[in-house]
Amino acid sequence: MKLKLHEENNVLIIEIKGKMMGGPEANDFHEALKTEIGKGFKKFILDLREVDWMNSSGLGMLIGGLTTIKNAGGELKLSSVTEKIHSLFVITKLVTIFESYDSMEKALESYR
Amino acid sequence: MPLKKIGELKVNSQPASLAEVDRFTEKLIRKMPFPNEAQDDVAISISEAVNNAIMHGNRQDPQKQVLIRFYSCSQYLRIVVQDHGLGFTPNRVPDPRKEENLLKASGRGMLIMRHLMDRVVFRVVKMGMQVILEKRFPGGLPT
Ligand SMILES: Nc1ncnc2c1ncn2[C@@H]1O[C@H](COP(=O)(O)OP(=O)(O)O)[C@@H](O)[C@H]1O
Ligand SMILES: [Mg+2]
Repeated sequence: MKLKLHEENNVLIIEIKGKMMGGPEANDFHEALKTEIGKGFKKFILDLREVDWMNSSGLGMLIGGLTTIKNAGGELKLSSVTEKIHSLFVITKLVTIFESYDSMEKALESYR
Repeated sequence: MPLKKIGELKVNSQPASLAEVDRFTEKLIRKMPFPNEAQDDVAISISEAVNNAIMHGNRQDPQKQVLIRFYSCSQYLRIVVQDHGLGFTPNRVPDPRKEENLLKASGRGMLIMRHLMDRVVFRVVKMGMQVILEKRFPGGLPT
């Protein structure tokens, strides 16, 4: 799993690439979030377009991220949720927990 | 055609082993008659079983390893993941879909394995705990 961060209209966008399978990489994600929250960011979008697959540790990472951001008074939205990831959200009943958009444009639009 | 062993891997009980198992799995299942989506289902389920073996079964004990064996026949692929733990009672595991569990960061591995594979069996053996995962090839008979 690789992370790429950039800012657009005061929104912090995190692109995730590869497999979200947990292990040591989950910590990198949480560290990155904390750093960006520390810089004052409140609006976050996770871009999942290039995620190959995700397991329960990946889902745990997303939930942990959501909790961290909410506790800091911020918001997290997901963009480009693939069909496969969506089906995991359905199986686990997490669909109602995450605010998801099928494209980055729509996710950004929702913050305007 | 009877079940034949097609691969075996032993890894240390640390989270970093997950990537090693995934590389091995990917190479092995690439040659099988699975559509791409089913390949991912298998890789995801193996990552769940191995993660549980490392974290819950062996509790990251550096003295203990996790054994992963692959078998196939004309109808399906079988993976057996074995740890050296005491085992557990699968139907006592809380349902992660319950309202009070929805915001927990863990507890969804078994649900996901059961959903993505055609057959999932948990059994306690003399050595420890075994998780058996099976996935049918397209057009394969029920396992
Ligand atoms: N190999 C194992 N050995 C012992 N306990 C296990 C094993 N696999 C699963 N468990 C138990 O079942 C629970 C549920 O597993 P799982 O659904 O993968 O969720 P998680 O691993 O996130 O807790 C674990 O918390 C653990 O108590
Ligand atoms: Mg697990």
